[in-house]
Amino acid sequence: MKRGDLLLISVILAAALLLMVPRWVQGGQISEKNHNTPLTAVIKVEGKVFQTVTLTKEEQTVEIRTKRGYNLIKVQDYGIEMVDADCPDEICLTFGFKTKKGDTIVCLPHRVIVEVEGTGGEGEGTDAII
Amino acid sequence: MPLSDEETSLVLKRTVMIAIFAAVAVVLSIAESMIPVNIQIPGAKLGLANIMILTCLYFLRARDALMLVVLKTILTAFIFGTFSSLLFSLFGSLFSFAVMAFLMKLGRRRLSLVGISITGGIAHNIGQLAAASIVFSTLNIFYYLPALLISGIATGILVGIAVRYLVTSLSRLSLFDPFMKA
Repeated sequence: MKRGDLLLISVILAAALLLMVPRWVQGGQISEKNHNTPLTAVIKVEGKVFQTVTLTKEEQTVEIRTKRGYNLIKVQDYGIEMVDADCPDEICLTFGFKTKKGDTIVCLPHRVIVEVEGTGGEGEGTDAII
Repeated sequence: MPLSDEETSLVLKRTVMIAIFAAVAVVLSIAESMIPVNIQIPGAKLGLANIMILTCLYFLRARDALMLVVLKTILTAFIFGTFSSLLFSLFGSLFSFAVMAFLMKLGRRRLSLVGISITGGIAHNIGQLAAASIVFSTLNIFYYLPALLISGIATGILVGIAVRYLVTSLSRLSLFDPFMKA
């Protein structure tokens, strides 16, 4: 280890923390709002909207079958998760259970992306908070 | 222009070394895929194959390492059947290679192998995130960058230490004598 290494590590750590701070601030505000407005998740395949689901408490599943492969998405407890896929790297399964606006699940080999968004009627939702 | 005996043997040694390094890198990738990692950071991985790439960069020329990177990426795509994401892996590994080769050439005085392996690992992550964000035309994926940066530091340190051990042991072999840097 040289001094440059330590400098490099501290710069990267600082950058990572700087990127995380606005998220914590925002995250706190959103979770308060979460109680009354259900979120929706937009599922896109190859850039086109495949389905839009409301993140309900009740369990529901969305199955995607394309020529690239198969993905199974599960909605429950106001969140969404990729529970099964036959893609080779299975990175999409490591994203976990997503409940916050702006969260994303990606399955790169199958070109599937799930984005959690606010409800359509609420607008973009950023202006309501002070 | 015919090569002298010495040059021929050097070329041969180099070729053999790239082949062996590529084989080991592929095996390391397979071994790595068998280790169950249960962390919630998509895209984070140990990057054991980077050990071979960095060692190759240390002993051989940058273009030999480039050969190794391309070989390794294509071979792993064959073995894992990940052709649909071959372009992304290539994007990530070539970007990572470019950064490491650059630092190996210019940053060697300031950075040790640990620093270079950290930068290489993180460059790989950034390359893949960039490729993904181009395909999906969304920047939301960079949400995972901070977590990947931190995991990249951890794995980069491990890989860097492994490379240091490997380099010292390989340096003792007479096969590597012509490639030792002063």
